[in-house]
Amino acid sequence: MTEILARRGYHGPATDEAIEAVHDEMDALWEDASFVPEMDRMTFATAVIEAAANIVQHALPVAEKPVELDVDISVRPACLVARVSAHNAREPFANDMRADMPAEDAESGRGLALIEALVTTVTFERQHGTNTWILTRESTPAQGE
Amino acid sequence: MQFSYEVKDSYAEVKGVGRLNMVAAPKLREVVAEVVASGSSRVVVNLAETDFMDSSGLGALIGCLKAARQAGGDLRISGVQPQVKMVLELTNMDRVLTAYPSAEAAFGND
Repeated sequence: MTEILARRGYHGPATDEAIEAVHDEMDALWEDASFVPEMDRMTFATAVIEAAANIVQHALPVAEKPVELDVDISVRPACLVARVSAHNAREPFANDMRADMPAEDAESGRGLALIEALVTTVTFERQHGTNTWILTRESTPAQGE
Repeated sequence: MQFSYEVKDSYAEVKGVGRLNMVAAPKLREVVAEVVASGSSRVVVNLAETDFMDSSGLGALIGCLKAARQAGGDLRISGVQPQVKMVLELTNMDRVLTAYPSAEAAFGND
């Protein structure tokens, strides 16, 4: 198992408030792990918020229970890893999984393309009614700052 | 995120403080729609105190740009911070949403 240097998470209903809570958890994570370079924080936080917002905006419940958002972000010696999950969720529609940039005047549809541009790997898993995005970004501690 | 606006001589300045994410994006659309409806179609969105923007926030800016142009004006942005600049560049929208150093400079030469 790779060593985990810092870790933060969120679990709760997939609502607007959850997005603000995830932002706050990430701000706290960077305080815990101040050695993570500014560029890596900025890009990774943007990707995590895009994935969480995708769930809040698009995930549909599989039954009566509402969709729950679960975010687990960890700082490891050579990378940042986030697992962003939608529990009690249906499988995403193909249109919600498009990763190409839309036309210039489009007002939505850039989220996944942006995630791909921001991280090193993006993996999607579906298991027992849970959709999980696993985002990783290579990152090594800033030297001499 | 908190929005405020001020109508000046030749443009209206909309200021956003905080995170322009999926929660704040509909509020930005409302504020700019109100500004345009009040007769100011030349709009500067001052992002000097906006430290984060996601694709929903970007989508709202594009919607606001279209609304301003349909009313015969334009929408420009100013005071862009590093994270917002990164999102604009990665989505190639920096060519569409022109960034100016300050709200005064945005319509300065028109």
